[in-house]
Amino acid sequence: MIVLKYTKSLDARFISHIDLLKHIGRILRRAGIPVKHSQGFNPHALLFFSPPMVLGVNSYAEYVAIDTDMNGDEVFERFNNSVPDGLKAINWFKTDKNPNIQGKSVSADYVLDVPYFEFDYKDGFEITYKKKDDMVTEDIARKIFGIFNADGRLGVRLASGNNNLRVDRLATGLNEKYGKDIKITTIAKIAQYVDVDGKEIDVDLYLK
Amino acid sequence: MNDYKKKIDELLLSVEKPARYVGGEWNVPDMKKQAKAKFCFCFPDIYEIGMSNLGLQILYDIINRHPDFIAERCYAPWTDMGAKLRENDIPLLSLETATPLKDFDVVGFSVQFELLYSNVLYMLDLAGIPFYAKDRGGEYPIICAGGPCAVNPEPFAPFFDCIVIGEGEEADLELLKKVAEGKEKGLSKVQILEELKKIEGVYVPSLLTEGERVVKAVVKDFENAPYPTKPLVPNIEIVHDRATLELYRGCASGCRFCQAGYYYRPIRERSAEKCAEYGREMINNSGFGEISLCSLSTSDYTGLMDLEKELRPFIDEKKITLALPSLRLSSFTKEMAQSSRRSSLTFAPEAGTQRLRNVINKNVTDEEIGNIGRAFEAGYDSVKLYFMLGLPTETDEDILGIAEICKRLRSLYIEIRKKRNLTISVSCSVFIPKPSTPFQWEAQISLDEMLRRQKLLRNALREIKGVSFSWHGAETSVLEVVLARGDKKLAPVIVRAYELGAKFDSWTEYFSWDIWTQAFADCGIDMGEYIGEISEDKDLPWDFIDIGVSKKYLLGQRHLAYQGITTKNCREGCNGCGANKLGRCTII
Repeated sequence: MIVLKYTKSLDARFISHIDLLKHIGRILRRAGIPVKHSQGFNPHALLFFSPPMVLGVNSYAEYVAIDTDMNGDEVFERFNNSVPDGLKAINWFKTDKNPNIQGKSVSADYVLDVPYFEFDYKDGFEITYKKKDDMVTEDIARKIFGIFNADGRLGVRLASGNNNLRVDRLATGLNEKYGKDIKITTIAKIAQYVDVDGKEIDVDLYLK
Repeated sequence: MNDYKKKIDELLLSVEKPARYVGGEWNVPDMKKQAKAKFCFCFPDIYEIGMSNLGLQILYDIINRHPDFIAERCYAPWTDMGAKLRENDIPLLSLETATPLKDFDVVGFSVQFELLYSNVLYMLDLAGIPFYAKDRGGEYPIICAGGPCAVNPEPFAPFFDCIVIGEGEEADLELLKKVAEGKEKGLSKVQILEELKKIEGVYVPSLLTEGERVVKAVVKDFENAPYPTKPLVPNIEIVHDRATLELYRGCASGCRFCQAGYYYRPIRERSAEKCAEYGREMINNSGFGEISLCSLSTSDYTGLMDLEKELRPFIDEKKITLALPSLRLSSFTKEMAQSSRRSSLTFAPEAGTQRLRNVINKNVTDEEIGNIGRAFEAGYDSVKLYFMLGLPTETDEDILGIAEICKRLRSLYIEIRKKRNLTISVSCSVFIPKPSTPFQWEAQISLDEMLRRQKLLRNALREIKGVSFSWHGAETSVLEVVLARGDKKLAPVIVRAYELGAKFDSWTEYFSWDIWTQAFADCGIDMGEYIGEISEDKDLPWDFIDIGVSKKYLLGQRHLAYQGITTKNCREGCNGCGANKLGRCTII
């Protein structure tokens, strides 16, 4: 199993998750990277992805696990010769570990394009957003795992995976509560963490 | 990144499907080269539909292959994005480099069917370009049109500086060469248009003289014509989300209602080896998971079996699928049914009885409809059938014949498969008499009559288990006839309809019959004038277009139709339609 760590930025950040799944399949096909398929009447390529990204948000920590016999260097090179600039691979790992990163995900780090400031969330942070046709109010305090100074910008660690907080909803909440002007399209995801025996581990370290 | 691109990026999260507007698809050619002339293809419908258009991909590829020219694209923004552009004072932009349409040398619209006319104006309006050619000075690009509707360009001719009639592969390049030369020499717009008029297939409405004819452009060497083997790969799901392989152009069947069948003559086949080569290249360059074979009647292609054989190892190795659309019953075999591995098969008998099929020259016999049994043997449980209502000479008996076909298929299925879960979907459109067909003089049935016939069929089909019925909007069919057979008087009506809010007329949620009837009333034009039967000795608005097939031949076909006499398939021998004066019919 080869895992590629790749970016989803520039124009590619506007590709939805469903479209991305299809896209990666095409990229691998035109790159000539052989992917093993499941058995059965409708065989599908054995690929595993990190959790879906919010449309319009940049990511520098996306992962796709590919079931292939090709060696990692070649997969990496072929992939990068067949992708638009926004979807470049930045690292690769060979692993025998469970490739289902999405299922193991617990949190992710994001950098919001606003000067670092401390905001109160531990005693509750209510946001209101539209879900389908209804307006929903939710206390997201327990989904904010921490804030940090990212070279002068505001960094946040948020729940990611089955228990998930959409970073755009936090950003909109901050804009409303603190009069900020954080643009969704300038947010960047910089790290993904998975749960390993109850510990939060960076996917890069998990795969090494 | 230019300022417009930045502005657009900021708007994207407030509209549906932002990936429609970002471009950056795989295989977009080099947009930075020094170009002598820049072309922008405009498709008057949304991205998902425009990106599925093979013609546009072919022309885009040809222009960008040329060292001196660049072609970009622009699709009609959906209404949410259109409103955002207006709110933010952003003109309509090209997808590749976010350049305003006004800054191109040539802007070319692909006009695929009549209900897109209002969208041409929608795009011009968003681009800040005046609608009428006469109102545009040299500061504006040359605005041209092409596509199937150019068969009768008159209703929209006043909007364009020139219109490419027929196939654009060679004409578009010639056009760009002359525009580039004109720019270099500092020629005026009128002088450039005079040059463009000399190109075969180019119609310049402002310069057409009395009695002059425009001959359709035809690609003579189709075998070696360039083909987009590096197709653009969309970032979002589009309507035809696959590699499309064009096997041949034209059609040998001669169905009397079919405009494409006459307009794209002469028939020109590409060899199976070449098609297979293109197919492999396309998949390797794009990564698409499916190849779709495309032509007017794919299963009539002489090299179909060879092509299938040639592609099979590649298809199996790459784990992709090969799709076979628009099958003709007469050439359908069990092998095809098995190798295409789909859940449902589609056939188009078009009419319910043998008598009416003879009238329209759809050479499908009752016996051949029995061929669908082979699909059942191969394991298919679902069939789609296409029919038309309101064909010339149609009676209620013909309509009920559609239900008879469904009953027959159902018993055939039960007999072969010993079970009862066959599903049949019957889809009915309304016959639209189109220019450059033997039925161009025919009347369209009235709105009330359309509804009556639809009801008759619906009731008959209700009694058969497993049959679903869908039909096309009656009002849009009326508008389609009027615009298809219209003349220059209709241009102001289209403008009026747009002013009243018409756009995306091909989308049921946007089509408004009231707007169009209002527009006709406001302009003092009676729609009825364009719907009824046209006398054979009357001059037709599109008579000046020479598509190769002679008017005499069309008339002869019309008379044969009334006698119920069929015309043989061109593959069995030449019927002398006249199209081969523009290029040789080549059947491999």
